Amino acid sequence: MSLRLVAHRLLVFAVTLMGAVGLVLLLLWLAPGDPIDLLPNGEELRPVLTQQWELDRPLPVRFVSYFGRALHGDLGTSLAYRPGTPVADVIAGPAMRSMVWLLTALVLTMVWGTWLAWASAGRPSWHRKLVQVASIAPVFLLAHVSVNGIDVLTLSLVDRGIIPRPGWFPLPSEPGVFRTALAIVLLAVGSGALAEVRAEAENALVKIRGSGYIAAARARGERLWPHVAHNLVGPLTTVASSRAAFFVGGLVILEKVLLLNGIGSILWQAAVMRDYPLALGITVVLASIVCLSRLLGDTVRLAFDPRLRAQVGR
Amino acid sequence: MRALAIPRRAERLFRRNPAATLAALWLLVIVIMGLVALLSRYDPITDVHVGQAELGPGPGHWLGTDHLGRDVLKRLALACQFFVAPGMLACLVSAAIAIPAGAIAGFEGGWIEAGIRWVFTVVASVPRFVLLLLVLSIYGDRLYLLAIAAGVAYAPTLAEAVFGRIEGLRSAEYVLANRAYGVPSWRILWVHLVWAASRRLVARHLVTLFGYYLVLETTLSYIGGFGVQEPMPSWGNMLAFDWGYSAWYAPQVLAPVVVLWVTIVAIAWVAETLGGEVADA
Repeated sequence: MSLRLVAHRLLVFAVTLMGAVGLVLLLLWLAPGDPIDLLPNGEELRPVLTQQWELDRPLPVRFVSYFGRALHGDLGTSLAYRPGTPVADVIAGPAMRSMVWLLTALVLTMVWGTWLAWASAGRPSWHRKLVQVASIAPVFLLAHVSVNGIDVLTLSLVDRGIIPRPGWFPLPSEPGVFRTALAIVLLAVGSGALAEVRAEAENALVKIRGSGYIAAARARGERLWPHVAHNLVGPLTTVASSRAAFFVGGLVILEKVLLLNGIGSILWQAAVMRDYPLALGITVVLASIVCLSRLLGDTVRLAFDPRLRAQVGR
Repeated sequence: MRALAIPRRAERLFRRNPAATLAALWLLVIVIMGLVALLSRYDPITDVHVGQAELGPGPGHWLGTDHLGRDVLKRLALACQFFVAPGMLACLVSAAIAIPAGAIAGFEGGWIEAGIRWVFTVVASVPRFVLLLLVLSIYGDRLYLLAIAAGVAYAPTLAEAVFGRIEGLRSAEYVLANRAYGVPSWRILWVHLVWAASRRLVARHLVTLFGYYLVLETTLSYIGGFGVQEPMPSWGNMLAFDWGYSAWYAPQVLAPVVVLWVTIVAIAWVAETLGGEVADA
């Protein structure tokens, strides 16, 4: 793959990310009043904070300096959530955890959706509608139904003496490994994720199976799955990278509903407490995750599809 | 003749796609309830009748009452006002932004296309829910503000769809023929490309956006802190509030789940049906 193409993608990535940071700063700048008004002891601190946050300077200057500092990992200082702590320190640990959950859910939904599509591509099947109807529910509804449903079930089994009183088994309503796993599964299924991946994979599989190169490979007596897999990567990557933003939004909701300690629940707290530096910092991190996933998706597609390279290179 | 023709058309529509027709009827009921509820003067404080708490379903209260003696069915209906009108506002905002922008980008190409698409890519690179949370936090928790923001946040998706459709048809033969006949560009763009070729696509996206707004409102109200808050009813906060008080099989616990799920599936069916007919448009 030519270096020029990669450089172009990197440039798009950087420009988009800068735009996203600018958008978020613009939102804050357009608001009536300023963040200092919201602090209980704001008026005492006004001279210091005005200088520290550069509130007296024009928006472009603030944008450049915010972006420059963000590149060095300095996202400002938390106001209300953990006053005085650098935002980067507050979110570093939770952000890593959230990233792991996000990636696990993404891999899970890809594998699961492809498997379902593989099992029934091009044929009528009983689970297509079922997956659609189950998958379309918003994640908070799925979380509510599954957590409470499992709790009710567990307790009724305990009441009837079928399983021993929990002590060895944490109730799903308590935070723990079970809840984390549940969050990942629901993220992979909910808000239409699984149905969409399945539909895309099914379309791609039907197209691949009917294609000339598969017929040729079959005639030559070759193994078919390497051809299928190679051509499936492109469509699946497209879904995965277009789905990334939804996954981030869904994770914020799930962390809040299932009481997980990740970047999403901190964002929610920051939004409720109006801790702007923290909320801004988290938004910038999440936007860069989305941009990064697009960059990765584009690169993978280019690497796997020579037709695309020829088309873009022209 | 005309009066007779409409039921016949409706019957044909129903025969062709019964699921989507039922779904559309359900949505119609929801929308009417939402608009009526908007006009009703409901006082959530005087609605509390502790003496009639936890009644089962019966002739007076079809779905029973909750732990404060409030009629569950009435509250389900009243909750529609918090997403029907705002959801429509979100659709209006999104259409007003995205259709012109997407159409012009698709028709003109070049730098105009690059600029418009960059703006939408930037907006879309902040996860929608995160962007809306930030807006609520900065500008305060106002229902119609949330609706406008949701419309703006959805605009990239709609604009990209309109863009794709119009760019694909920009050099179609009938467009070239129109040009050769000297039809003005604005007429080709707005009449032939936007109205004739993209209106079903747009309709499908707007229905989807309506569903997105419903999910957004119920999610915020369920979690609390933003959105509709007790004592005003929302399907989201009814779900969260009634859970702690009643058995899991009580109608006030199950009804919001069922109603929300059914409505979302109905919206998806209607959207899918609209989208399915895009292919032959």
